[in-house]
Amino acid sequence: MSMKRAVREVFGFFFSIGRRTGKTRVFALLALIPFALAVVGRIFLHGRTGDMAAVFTEILMVFFLQFYIVILSLFYGTSVTAEEVEGRTLSYLITRPIPKPAIVLGKYSAYTLLMTLMVAVSLALSYFVLNASRLAQPSLYLTFLRYLGVLVLGILAYTAFFAFLGAFLKKAIIVGLIFGFGWENVIQYFPGSTQNFSLVHYLKSLLPYRPAGMGSGGRGVALLLFRLEPTPPLVAVLMLAAIAGAFLALACWVFRTKEYLYEE
Amino acid sequence: MTAVITAVNLSKWYGNVLGLNDVSLDIESGITGFLGPNGAGKSTFMKLITGQMKPNIGTVTVRGRKVWNNPALFRGIGFCPEQDAFYEDMTGFEFIAGLLRFYDYPPAEIRERAARALDIVELVKDKDRLIRGYSRGMRQRVKFAQAIAHDPEILILDEPLSGLDPLGKRKLIRLIRDFRNQGRTVLVSSHVLPEIEALTSRVVLIHQGKILAQGDVPYIRELIEAHPHMISVRSSDPRALAARFVGDRAIQKMTFAPDGRTLVVETHKRDEFYGRLTGAVLEAGLEVEEITSPDDNLQAVFEYLVGK
Repeated sequence: MSMKRAVREVFGFFFSIGRRTGKTRVFALLALIPFALAVVGRIFLHGRTGDMAAVFTEILMVFFLQFYIVILSLFYGTSVTAEEVEGRTLSYLITRPIPKPAIVLGKYSAYTLLMTLMVAVSLALSYFVLNASRLAQPSLYLTFLRYLGVLVLGILAYTAFFAFLGAFLKKAIIVGLIFGFGWENVIQYFPGSTQNFSLVHYLKSLLPYRPAGMGSGGRGVALLLFRLEPTPPLVAVLMLAAIAGAFLALACWVFRTKEYLYEE
Repeated sequence: MTAVITAVNLSKWYGNVLGLNDVSLDIESGITGFLGPNGAGKSTFMKLITGQMKPNIGTVTVRGRKVWNNPALFRGIGFCPEQDAFYEDMTGFEFIAGLLRFYDYPPAEIRERAARALDIVELVKDKDRLIRGYSRGMRQRVKFAQAIAHDPEILILDEPLSGLDPLGKRKLIRLIRDFRNQGRTVLVSSHVLPEIEALTSRVVLIHQGKILAQGDVPYIRELIEAHPHMISVRSSDPRALAARFVGDRAIQKMTFAPDGRTLVVETHKRDEFYGRLTGAVLEAGLEVEEITSPDDNLQAVFEYLVGK
Protein backbone atom coordinates (compact mmCIF):
# COMPACT_ATOMS: atom_id res chain seq x y z
CA MET A 1 0.00 0.00 0.00
CA SER A 2 1.33 3.43 -0.89
CA MET A 3 2.29 5.79 1.92
CA LYS A 4 -0.38 8.29 0.88
CA ARG A 5 -3.14 5.69 0.87
CA ALA A 6 -1.93 4.22 4.15
CA VAL A 7 -2.00 7.64 5.83
CA ARG A 8 -5.52 8.19 4.52
CA GLU A 9 -6.74 4.84 5.83
CA VAL A 10 -5.13 5.33 9.24
CA PHE A 11 -6.66 8.80 9.33
CA GLY A 12 -10.13 7.37 8.65
CA PHE A 13 -9.74 4.64 11.25
CA PHE A 14 -8.63 6.97 14.03
CA PHE A 15 -10.92 9.85 13.17
CA SER A 16 -13.77 7.39 13.57
CA ILE A 17 -12.45 6.12 16.93
CA GLY A 18 -11.35 9.55 18.13
CA ARG A 19 -14.80 11.10 17.81
CA ARG A 20 -16.33 8.87 20.45
CA THR A 21 -13.68 8.45 23.09
CA GLY A 22 -14.20 9.72 26.63
CA LYS A 23 -11.24 12.04 26.13
CA THR A 24 -12.95 13.79 23.22
CA ARG A 25 -16.16 14.16 25.21
CA VAL A 26 -14.29 15.76 28.12
CA PHE A 27 -12.42 18.17 25.88
CA ALA A 28 -15.57 19.03 23.95
CA LEU A 29 -17.23 19.93 27.27
CA LEU A 30 -14.21 22.02 28.18
CA ALA A 31 -14.73 23.91 24.93
CA LEU A 32 -18.01 25.24 26.33
CA ILE A 33 -16.18 27.33 28.95
CA PRO A 34 -15.36 30.26 26.62
CA PHE A 35 -18.90 30.17 25.30
CA ALA A 36 -20.24 30.41 28.84
CA LEU A 37 -17.83 33.26 29.61
CA ALA A 38 -18.88 35.03 26.42
CA VAL A 39 -22.56 34.75 27.35
CA VAL A 40 -21.84 36.14 30.83
CA GLY A 41 -19.74 38.93 29.29
CA ARG A 42 -22.50 39.75 26.85
CA ILE A 43 -25.08 40.04 29.64
CA PHE A 44 -22.99 42.22 31.94
CA LEU A 45 -21.25 44.35 29.32
CA HIS A 46 -24.27 44.94 27.13
CA GLY A 47 -23.60 47.83 24.74
CA ARG A 48 -19.94 48.33 25.74
CA THR A 49 -18.24 47.12 22.56
CA GLY A 50 -14.70 47.99 23.67
CA ASP A 51 -15.05 46.06 26.92
CA MET A 52 -16.44 43.05 25.09
CA ALA A 53 -13.47 43.09 22.72
CA ALA A 54 -11.20 43.10 25.77
CA VAL A 55 -13.08 40.12 27.22
CA PHE A 56 -12.64 38.22 24.00
CA THR A 57 -8.94 39.05 23.89
CA GLU A 58 -8.59 37.64 27.41
CA ILE A 59 -10.48 34.50 26.42
CA LEU A 60 -8.26 34.09 23.39
CA MET A 61 -5.01 34.67 25.22
CA VAL A 62 -5.67 32.93 28.50
CA PHE A 63 -8.03 30.15 27.54
CA PHE A 64 -7.34 29.25 23.91
CA LEU A 65 -3.71 30.13 23.38
CA GLN A 66 -2.18 29.35 26.74
CA PHE A 67 -4.45 26.56 27.93
CA TYR A 68 -6.87 24.88 25.55
CA ILE A 69 -4.74 24.23 22.50
CA VAL A 70 -1.78 23.28 24.70
CA ILE A 71 -3.72 20.75 26.78
CA LEU A 72 -5.53 19.37 23.72
CA SER A 73 -2.29 18.97 21.79
CA LEU A 74 -0.56 17.47 24.80
CA PHE A 75 -3.15 14.75 25.32
CA TYR A 76 -3.84 13.97 21.66
CA GLY A 77 -0.23 14.42 20.52
CA THR A 78 1.35 12.13 23.10
CA SER A 79 -1.42 9.59 22.56
CA VAL A 80 -0.51 9.13 18.89
CA THR A 81 1.84 6.37 19.99
CA ALA A 82 1.52 6.19 23.78
CA GLU A 83 -2.14 5.15 23.82
CA GLU A 84 -1.36 2.22 21.52
CA VAL A 85 1.37 1.05 23.87
CA GLU A 86 -0.59 1.66 27.08
CA GLY A 87 -3.74 0.13 25.59
CA ARG A 88 -1.68 -2.76 24.12
CA THR A 89 -3.34 -2.27 20.73
CA LEU A 90 -0.11 -1.48 18.89
CA SER A 91 0.14 -5.12 17.77
CA TYR A 92 -2.97 -4.68 15.61
CA LEU A 93 -1.38 -1.80 13.71
CA ILE A 94 2.23 -2.78 13.25
CA THR A 95 1.36 -6.24 11.94
CA ARG A 96 -0.44 -4.70 8.93
CA PRO A 97 1.06 -4.04 5.49
CA ILE A 98 1.43 -0.31 6.09
CA PRO A 99 4.62 1.65 6.73
CA LYS A 100 5.02 2.59 10.40
CA PRO A 101 5.33 6.35 9.68
CA ALA A 102 1.87 6.17 8.09
CA ILE A 103 0.47 5.27 11.50
CA VAL A 104 2.00 8.38 13.06
CA LEU A 105 0.99 10.65 10.18
CA GLY A 106 -2.54 9.24 9.90
CA LYS A 107 -3.22 9.48 13.62
CA TYR A 108 -1.66 12.93 13.77
CA SER A 109 -3.92 14.11 10.93
CA ALA A 110 -7.03 12.57 12.48
CA TYR A 111 -6.38 14.06 15.90
CA THR A 112 -5.41 17.51 14.61
CA LEU A 113 -8.65 17.63 12.61
CA LEU A 114 -10.64 16.62 15.69
CA MET A 115 -8.93 19.31 17.76
CA THR A 116 -9.42 21.90 15.04
CA LEU A 117 -13.14 21.17 14.96
CA MET A 118 -13.44 21.50 18.73
CA VAL A 119 -11.45 24.72 18.77
CA ALA A 120 -13.28 26.18 15.76
CA VAL A 121 -16.72 25.59 17.26
CA SER A 122 -15.71 26.96 20.65
CA LEU A 123 -13.95 29.97 19.15
CA ALA A 124 -16.85 30.76 16.82
CA LEU A 125 -19.42 30.57 19.60
CA SER A 126 -17.51 32.84 21.98
CA TYR A 127 -16.38 35.26 19.28
CA PHE A 128 -19.76 35.79 17.64
CA VAL A 129 -21.63 35.98 20.92
CA LEU A 130 -19.37 38.80 22.08
CA ASN A 131 -19.53 40.51 18.69
CA ALA A 132 -23.20 39.92 17.96
CA SER A 133 -23.83 43.63 17.42
CA ARG A 134 -21.25 43.78 14.61
CA LEU A 135 -22.28 40.75 12.58
CA ALA A 136 -22.84 42.83 9.46
CA GLN A 137 -19.20 43.93 9.31
CA PRO A 138 -17.11 41.78 6.90
CA SER A 139 -13.90 42.58 8.81
CA LEU A 140 -15.33 40.66 11.76
CA TYR A 141 -15.18 37.41 9.78
CA LEU A 142 -11.68 38.07 8.49
CA THR A 143 -10.48 38.63 12.04
CA PHE A 144 -12.19 35.44 13.14
CA LEU A 145 -10.45 33.49 10.39
CA ARG A 146 -7.12 34.95 11.40
CA TYR A 147 -7.66 33.97 15.05
CA LEU A 148 -8.67 30.50 13.96
CA GLY A 149 -5.65 30.24 11.65
CA VAL A 150 -3.33 31.11 14.54
CA LEU A 151 -4.92 28.49 16.77
CA VAL A 152 -4.77 25.83 14.03
CA LEU A 153 -1.09 26.58 13.48
CA GLY A 154 -0.62 26.24 17.22
CA ILE A 155 -2.39 22.87 17.22
CA LEU A 156 -0.26 21.62 14.32
CA ALA A 157 3.03 22.66 15.93
CA TYR A 158 2.25 21.64 19.51
CA THR A 159 0.77 18.29 18.45
CA ALA A 160 3.81 17.47 16.33
CA PHE A 161 6.10 18.27 19.24
CA PHE A 162 4.03 16.22 21.69
CA ALA A 163 3.74 13.36 19.20
CA PHE A 164 7.52 13.26 19.13
CA LEU A 165 7.66 13.29 22.95
CA GLY A 166 5.08 10.49 23.07
CA ALA A 167 7.04 8.36 20.62
CA PHE A 168 10.34 9.00 22.36
CA LEU A 169 9.58 9.05 26.09
CA LYS A 170 7.66 6.79 28.44
CA LYS A 171 6.35 9.59 30.69
CA ALA A 172 5.75 12.08 27.91
CA ILE A 173 2.74 13.69 29.61
CA ILE A 174 4.84 14.92 32.54
CA VAL A 175 7.53 16.35 30.30
CA GLY A 176 4.79 17.83 28.10
CA LEU A 177 3.10 19.50 31.06
CA ILE A 178 6.39 21.04 32.16
CA PHE A 179 7.00 22.27 28.62
CA GLY A 180 3.47 23.47 27.89
CA PHE A 181 2.66 25.17 31.16
CA GLY A 182 6.14 25.85 32.51
CA TRP A 183 8.61 26.69 29.81
CA GLU A 184 6.10 28.22 27.41
CA ASN A 185 4.81 30.59 30.10
CA VAL A 186 8.03 31.52 31.81
CA ILE A 187 9.95 32.26 28.65
CA GLN A 188 7.50 34.97 27.66
CA TYR A 189 8.85 37.13 30.45
CA PHE A 190 12.36 36.99 29.07
CA PRO A 191 13.41 39.83 26.81
CA GLY A 192 15.23 39.56 23.52
CA SER A 193 15.63 36.50 21.35
CA THR A 194 15.09 34.02 24.21
CA GLN A 195 11.38 34.17 23.44
CA ASN A 196 12.08 32.62 20.05
CA PHE A 197 12.59 29.30 21.81
CA SER A 198 8.89 28.98 22.54
CA LEU A 199 6.00 28.14 20.24
CA VAL A 200 3.65 30.60 21.88
CA HIS A 201 5.93 33.46 20.86
CA TYR A 202 5.30 32.78 17.17
CA LEU A 203 1.59 32.36 17.76
CA LYS A 204 1.32 35.67 19.57
CA SER A 205 3.34 37.34 16.83
CA LEU A 206 0.53 36.44 14.42
CA LEU A 207 -2.35 37.92 16.39
CA PRO A 208 -3.99 40.88 14.67
CA TYR A 209 -4.74 42.66 17.93
CA ARG A 210 -2.40 42.45 20.85
CA PRO A 211 -3.69 42.95 24.36
CA ALA A 212 -2.50 45.79 26.55
CA GLY A 213 1.05 45.28 27.75
CA MET A 214 2.06 43.25 24.72
CA GLY A 215 3.40 46.08 22.61
CA SER A 216 6.85 45.81 21.17
CA GLY A 217 7.83 49.24 22.39
CA GLY A 218 7.64 48.43 26.09
CA ARG A 219 10.20 50.34 28.07
CA GLY A 220 10.71 48.00 31.02
CA VAL A 221 12.78 44.89 30.88
CA ALA A 222 12.02 43.80 34.43
CA LEU A 223 11.83 40.03 34.73
CA LEU A 224 8.15 39.78 35.55
CA LEU A 225 7.01 42.38 33.07
CA PHE A 226 5.31 40.63 30.16
CA ARG A 227 6.88 41.78 26.96
CA LEU A 228 6.51 40.58 23.38
CA GLU A 229 9.07 41.36 20.72
CA PRO A 230 7.14 39.97 17.76
CA THR A 231 8.61 38.10 14.87
CA PRO A 232 7.37 39.21 11.43
CA PRO A 233 4.20 37.24 10.52
CA LEU A 234 5.66 35.43 7.53
CA VAL A 235 8.70 34.31 9.53
CA ALA A 236 6.40 33.23 12.38
CA VAL A 237 4.28 31.10 10.04
CA LEU A 238 7.36 29.55 8.46
CA MET A 239 8.88 28.83 11.86
CA LEU A 240 5.68 27.14 13.09
CA ALA A 241 5.45 25.09 9.90
CA ALA A 242 9.11 24.11 10.16
CA ILE A 243 8.73 23.12 13.83
CA ALA A 244 5.64 21.04 13.03
CA GLY A 245 7.36 19.36 10.07
CA ALA A 246 10.60 18.69 11.91
CA PHE A 247 9.00 17.18 15.00
CA LEU A 248 6.59 15.14 12.94
CA ALA A 249 9.48 13.74 10.92
CA LEU A 250 11.33 12.97 14.16
CA ALA A 251 8.24 11.26 15.60
CA CYS A 252 7.98 9.08 12.48
CA TRP A 253 11.65 8.20 12.62
CA VAL A 254 11.52 7.29 16.32
CA PHE A 255 8.37 5.22 15.83
CA ARG A 256 9.93 3.36 12.93
CA THR A 257 13.14 2.50 14.72
CA LYS A 258 12.05 2.07 18.34
CA GLU A 259 10.73 -1.11 19.88
CA TYR A 260 7.73 -0.66 22.13
CA LEU A 261 7.24 -3.06 25.01
CA TYR A 262 4.01 -3.44 26.91
CA GLU A 263 4.16 -3.02 30.69
CA GLU A 264 3.72 -6.35 32.43
CA MET B 1 9.86 -29.58 3.15
CA THR B 2 10.85 -25.90 2.88
CA ALA B 3 10.77 -23.83 6.04
CA VAL B 4 8.24 -21.02 6.08
CA ILE B 5 9.66 -19.30 9.16
CA THR B 6 13.34 -19.56 9.98
CA ALA B 7 15.04 -18.40 13.15
CA VAL B 8 18.81 -18.56 13.39
CA ASN B 9 20.59 -18.09 16.72
CA LEU B 10 17.83 -15.81 17.83
CA SER B 11 18.37 -14.03 21.15
CA LYS B 12 16.40 -11.29 22.78
CA TRP B 13 16.75 -9.71 26.17
CA TYR B 14 14.94 -7.02 28.10
CA GLY B 15 17.56 -5.17 30.08
CA ASN B 16 19.13 -7.89 32.18
CA VAL B 17 16.31 -10.36 31.62
CA LEU B 18 16.81 -12.94 28.93
CA GLY B 19 13.66 -13.38 26.86
CA LEU B 20 14.99 -15.76 24.24
CA ASN B 21 18.34 -17.51 24.20
CA ASP B 22 20.02 -18.69 21.00
CA VAL B 23 16.96 -20.17 19.37
CA SER B 24 17.36 -21.78 15.97
CA LEU B 25 14.23 -23.19 14.45
CA ASP B 26 12.61 -24.01 11.12
CA ILE B 27 8.84 -23.90 11.00
CA GLU B 28 7.17 -25.66 8.10
CA SER B 29 3.63 -25.47 6.82
CA GLY B 30 0.94 -27.11 8.91
CA ILE B 31 0.37 -26.48 12.60
CA THR B 32 3.28 -26.11 14.98
CA GLY B 33 2.51 -25.89 18.68
CA PHE B 34 4.66 -23.78 20.95
CA LEU B 35 4.40 -25.17 24.43
CA GLY B 36 5.82 -23.62 27.57
CA PRO B 37 4.87 -22.15 30.91
CA ASN B 38 4.13 -18.45 31.32
CA GLY B 39 7.25 -16.38 30.80
CA ALA B 40 8.99 -19.13 28.84
CA GLY B 41 9.61 -16.93 25.79
CA LYS B 42 6.68 -17.96 23.58
CA SER B 43 5.32 -14.43 23.21
CA THR B 44 8.80 -13.02 22.68
CA PHE B 45 9.34 -15.44 19.82
CA MET B 46 5.97 -14.55 18.32
CA LYS B 47 6.70 -10.84 18.59
CA LEU B 48 10.02 -11.36 16.85
CA ILE B 49 8.50 -13.25 13.95
CA THR B 50 5.75 -10.66 13.56
CA GLY B 51 8.18 -7.74 13.52
CA GLN B 52 7.00 -6.21 16.75
CA MET B 53 10.48 -6.59 18.16
CA LYS B 54 13.90 -6.87 16.63
CA PRO B 55 16.37 -9.50 17.78
CA ASN B 56 19.46 -8.53 19.73
CA ILE B 57 21.35 -11.38 18.11
CA GLY B 58 20.43 -13.66 15.23
CA THR B 59 17.98 -13.40 12.39
CA VAL B 60 14.39 -14.26 11.73
CA THR B 61 12.94 -14.56 8.25
CA VAL B 62 9.56 -15.43 6.80
CA ARG B 63 9.79 -17.05 3.38
CA GLY B 64 13.38 -15.86 3.30
CA ARG B 65 12.51 -12.21 3.86
CA LYS B 66 13.47 -10.22 6.93
CA VAL B 67 10.60 -9.28 9.20
CA TRP B 68 11.56 -6.09 11.02
CA ASN B 69 10.23 -2.99 9.22
CA ASN B 70 9.03 -4.99 6.23
CA PRO B 71 5.33 -4.10 6.05
CA ALA B 72 4.75 -5.78 2.68
CA LEU B 73 5.30 -9.13 4.40
CA PHE B 74 2.23 -8.65 6.59
CA ARG B 75 -0.16 -9.02 3.68
CA GLY B 76 0.31 -12.74 4.15
CA ILE B 77 0.51 -12.92 7.95
CA GLY B 78 -2.35 -12.92 10.44
CA PHE B 79 -1.51 -12.33 14.07
CA CYS B 80 -3.72 -12.92 17.07
CA PRO B 81 -2.06 -11.34 20.12
CA GLU B 82 -2.21 -12.77 23.61
CA GLN B 83 -3.32 -9.61 25.36
CA ASP B 84 -7.01 -8.91 25.83
CA ALA B 85 -6.77 -5.45 24.28
CA PHE B 86 -9.12 -3.72 21.85
CA TYR B 87 -10.42 -0.40 20.66
CA GLU B 88 -13.25 -0.78 23.10
CA ASP B 89 -15.50 1.92 21.63
CA MET B 90 -15.77 0.14 18.29
CA THR B 91 -18.27 -2.53 17.39
CA GLY B 92 -16.99 -5.94 16.36
CA PHE B 93 -17.74 -5.16 12.72
CA GLU B 94 -16.07 -1.75 12.81
CA PHE B 95 -12.99 -3.28 14.40
CA ILE B 96 -12.56 -5.93 11.72
CA ALA B 97 -13.54 -3.66 8.84
CA GLY B 98 -11.35 -0.87 10.20
CA LEU B 99 -8.27 -3.09 10.23
CA LEU B 100 -9.10 -4.42 6.75
CA ARG B 101 -8.75 -0.87 5.45
CA PHE B 102 -5.00 -1.37 5.63
CA TYR B 103 -4.99 -3.95 2.81
CA ASP B 104 -5.94 -1.98 -0.31
CA TYR B 105 -9.34 -3.65 -0.59
CA PRO B 106 -12.24 -1.68 -2.08
CA PRO B 107 -14.98 -0.76 0.46
CA ALA B 108 -17.39 -3.46 -0.73
CA GLU B 109 -14.76 -6.15 -0.29
CA ILE B 110 -13.87 -4.83 3.16
CA ARG B 111 -17.50 -5.19 4.25
CA GLU B 112 -17.74 -8.63 2.69
CA ARG B 113 -14.52 -9.89 4.30
CA ALA B 114 -15.43 -8.46 7.71
CA ALA B 115 -18.85 -10.10 7.55
CA ARG B 116 -17.30 -13.41 6.50
CA ALA B 117 -14.71 -13.37 9.29
CA LEU B 118 -17.39 -12.59 11.87
CA ASP B 119 -19.53 -15.35 10.42
CA ILE B 120 -16.67 -17.84 10.78
CA VAL B 121 -16.30 -17.05 14.49
CA GLU B 122 -20.09 -16.96 14.93
CA LEU B 123 -20.29 -13.32 15.93
CA VAL B 124 -22.63 -12.08 13.19
CA LYS B 125 -25.46 -11.59 15.67
CA ASP B 126 -23.28 -9.41 17.88
CA LYS B 127 -21.37 -7.57 15.16
CA ASP B 128 -22.97 -4.21 15.93
CA ARG B 129 -22.37 -4.34 19.67
CA LEU B 130 -19.49 -2.42 21.20
CA ILE B 131 -16.50 -4.63 21.96
CA ARG B 132 -16.47 -3.33 25.55
CA GLY B 133 -19.73 -5.23 26.03
CA TYR B 134 -18.38 -8.54 24.71
CA SER B 135 -17.79 -11.55 26.97
CA ARG B 136 -14.27 -12.95 27.30
CA GLY B 137 -15.05 -15.68 24.80
CA MET B 138 -16.45 -13.22 22.27
CA ARG B 139 -13.42 -10.99 22.66
CA GLN B 140 -11.17 -13.96 22.02
CA ARG B 141 -13.17 -14.84 18.90
CA VAL B 142 -13.16 -11.31 17.47
CA LYS B 143 -9.41 -11.24 18.02
CA PHE B 144 -9.14 -14.43 15.98
CA ALA B 145 -11.44 -12.97 13.31
CA GLN B 146 -9.16 -9.95 12.76
CA ALA B 147 -6.26 -12.35 12.23
CA ILE B 148 -8.00 -14.36 9.49
CA ALA B 149 -10.10 -11.66 7.81
CA HIS B 150 -7.48 -10.94 5.13
CA ASP B 151 -7.02 -14.63 4.37
CA PRO B 152 -3.36 -14.87 5.38
CA GLU B 153 -1.04 -17.64 4.34
CA ILE B 154 0.59 -17.72 7.78
CA LEU B 155 -1.38 -17.52 11.00
CA ILE B 156 0.37 -16.77 14.28
CA LEU B 157 -1.77 -17.29 17.36
CA ASP B 158 -0.53 -16.38 20.82
CA GLU B 159 -2.52 -18.30 23.46
CA PRO B 160 -5.70 -18.21 21.34
CA LEU B 161 -7.61 -20.66 23.52
CA SER B 162 -7.11 -18.96 26.85
CA GLY B 163 -10.33 -17.68 28.37
CA LEU B 164 -12.57 -19.80 26.16
CA ASP B 165 -15.10 -22.24 27.56
CA PRO B 166 -14.77 -25.90 26.45
CA LEU B 167 -17.28 -25.45 23.64
CA GLY B 168 -15.57 -22.28 22.46
CA LYS B 169 -12.23 -24.05 22.55
CA ARG B 170 -13.56 -26.90 20.47
CA LYS B 171 -14.93 -24.54 17.85
CA LEU B 172 -11.73 -22.56 17.62
CA ILE B 173 -9.66 -25.72 17.41
CA ARG B 174 -11.83 -26.81 14.49
CA LEU B 175 -11.30 -23.46 12.77
CA ILE B 176 -7.54 -23.64 13.20
CA ARG B 177 -7.52 -27.17 11.80
CA ASP B 178 -9.57 -26.02 8.81
CA PHE B 179 -6.94 -23.43 8.23
CA ARG B 180 -4.21 -26.07 8.30
CA ASN B 181 -6.22 -28.24 5.92
CA GLN B 182 -6.05 -25.46 3.37
CA GLY B 183 -2.27 -25.98 3.27
CA ARG B 184 -1.38 -22.97 5.33
CA THR B 185 1.05 -22.44 8.16
CA VAL B 186 -0.14 -22.01 11.72
CA LEU B 187 2.01 -21.31 14.73
CA VAL B 188 0.08 -21.55 17.97
CA SER B 189 1.28 -21.10 21.53
CA SER B 190 -0.13 -22.45 24.76
CA HIS B 191 0.93 -23.48 28.23
CA VAL B 192 -1.58 -26.33 28.27
CA LEU B 193 -0.46 -29.58 26.62
CA PRO B 194 -3.96 -30.96 25.89
CA GLU B 195 -4.77 -27.78 23.96
CA ILE B 196 -1.72 -28.19 21.75
CA GLU B 197 -2.36 -31.90 21.51
CA ALA B 198 -5.83 -31.21 20.17
CA LEU B 199 -4.36 -29.07 17.41
CA THR B 200 -1.20 -30.73 16.26
CA SER B 201 1.30 -33.49 16.83
CA ARG B 202 4.23 -31.18 16.08
CA VAL B 203 5.36 -29.53 19.29
CA VAL B 204 8.21 -27.25 20.31
CA LEU B 205 8.90 -27.17 24.05
CA ILE B 206 10.23 -23.84 25.25
CA HIS B 207 11.36 -22.88 28.71
CA GLN B 208 13.37 -19.95 30.07
CA GLY B 209 13.95 -18.70 26.57
CA LYS B 210 15.42 -21.95 25.29
CA ILE B 211 14.08 -24.69 23.07
CA LEU B 212 14.15 -27.76 25.30
CA ALA B 213 12.76 -30.29 22.91
CA GLN B 214 11.03 -30.61 19.56
CA GLY B 215 9.01 -33.51 18.38
CA ASP B 216 5.61 -35.06 18.19
CA VAL B 217 3.17 -35.26 21.06
CA PRO B 218 3.87 -38.92 21.97
CA TYR B 219 7.52 -37.98 22.48
CA ILE B 220 6.53 -35.09 24.76
CA ARG B 221 4.14 -37.39 26.60
CA GLU B 222 6.98 -39.84 27.10
CA LEU B 223 9.04 -37.13 28.68
CA ILE B 224 6.19 -36.31 30.98
CA GLU B 225 5.59 -39.96 31.88
CA ALA B 226 9.26 -40.39 32.72
CA HIS B 227 8.91 -37.73 35.35
CA PRO B 228 7.32 -38.69 38.71
CA HIS B 229 4.00 -36.96 39.30
CA MET B 230 3.19 -35.29 42.57
CA ILE B 231 -0.33 -35.69 43.87
CA SER B 232 -1.59 -34.03 47.06
CA VAL B 233 -4.54 -35.54 48.91
CA ARG B 234 -6.05 -33.58 51.81
CA SER B 235 -8.18 -35.80 53.96
CA SER B 236 -9.52 -36.28 57.49
CA ASP B 237 -6.80 -38.86 58.33
CA PRO B 238 -3.76 -38.69 56.01
CA ARG B 239 -1.82 -41.23 58.10
CA ALA B 240 -4.51 -43.87 57.70
CA LEU B 241 -4.52 -43.17 53.98
CA ALA B 242 -0.72 -43.45 53.80
CA ALA B 243 -0.90 -46.79 55.61
CA ARG B 244 -3.04 -48.14 52.78
CA PHE B 245 -0.30 -47.35 50.24
CA VAL B 246 2.72 -48.64 52.09
CA GLY B 247 4.43 -51.15 49.82
CA ASP B 248 2.44 -50.11 46.75
CA ARG B 249 4.70 -50.41 43.70
CA ALA B 250 3.00 -47.51 41.95
CA ILE B 251 4.30 -45.16 44.61
CA GLN B 252 7.84 -43.90 44.84
CA LYS B 253 7.63 -41.63 47.83
CA MET B 254 5.11 -40.35 50.37
CA THR B 255 5.43 -37.29 52.60
CA PHE B 256 3.12 -35.26 54.81
CA ALA B 257 2.63 -31.58 54.12
CA PRO B 258 3.27 -29.13 56.99
CA ASP B 259 -0.49 -28.64 57.52
CA GLY B 260 -0.62 -32.22 58.84
CA ARG B 261 -3.72 -33.02 56.78
CA THR B 262 -2.22 -33.48 53.36
CA LEU B 263 -0.49 -36.56 52.02
CA VAL B 264 1.89 -35.84 49.13
CA VAL B 265 2.52 -38.79 46.85
CA GLU B 266 5.13 -39.14 44.11
CA THR B 267 4.31 -41.69 41.45
CA HIS B 268 5.29 -42.72 37.93
CA LYS B 269 1.92 -44.37 37.44
CA ARG B 270 -0.57 -41.63 37.97
CA ASP B 271 -3.59 -43.45 36.54
CA GLU B 272 -2.90 -46.56 38.63
CA PHE B 273 -2.60 -44.47 41.76
CA TYR B 274 -5.88 -42.67 41.11
CA GLY B 275 -7.56 -46.03 40.56
CA ARG B 276 -6.36 -47.35 43.90
CA LEU B 277 -6.98 -44.11 45.76
CA THR B 278 -10.74 -44.43 45.32
CA GLY B 279 -10.72 -47.91 46.79
CA ALA B 280 -8.44 -46.95 49.67
CA VAL B 281 -10.60 -43.98 50.63
CA LEU B 282 -13.75 -46.11 50.60
CA GLU B 283 -12.19 -48.93 52.58
CA ALA B 284 -10.80 -46.64 55.27
CA GLY B 285 -14.01 -44.60 55.39
CA LEU B 286 -12.07 -41.37 54.95
CA GLU B 287 -13.35 -37.97 54.01
CA VAL B 288 -11.31 -36.47 51.17
CA GLU B 289 -11.37 -32.66 51.03
CA GLU B 290 -9.16 -32.02 48.05
CA ILE B 291 -6.99 -33.77 45.48
CA THR B 292 -4.53 -31.62 43.57
CA SER B 293 -1.76 -32.44 41.17
CA PRO B 294 0.85 -29.75 40.80
CA ASP B 295 2.19 -31.71 37.84
CA ASP B 296 -0.92 -31.02 35.81
CA ASN B 297 0.80 -27.89 34.66
CA LEU B 298 3.96 -28.31 32.66
CA GLN B 299 6.23 -26.48 35.03
CA ALA B 300 7.42 -29.66 36.73
CA VAL B 301 8.19 -31.31 33.39
CA PHE B 302 10.19 -28.32 32.28
CA GLU B 303 12.08 -28.24 35.54
CA TYR B 304 12.76 -31.91 35.10
CA LEU B 305 14.02 -31.39 31.55
CA VAL B 306 16.17 -28.46 32.55
CA GLY B 307 17.57 -30.47 35.44
CA LYS B 308 18.25 -33.30 33.08
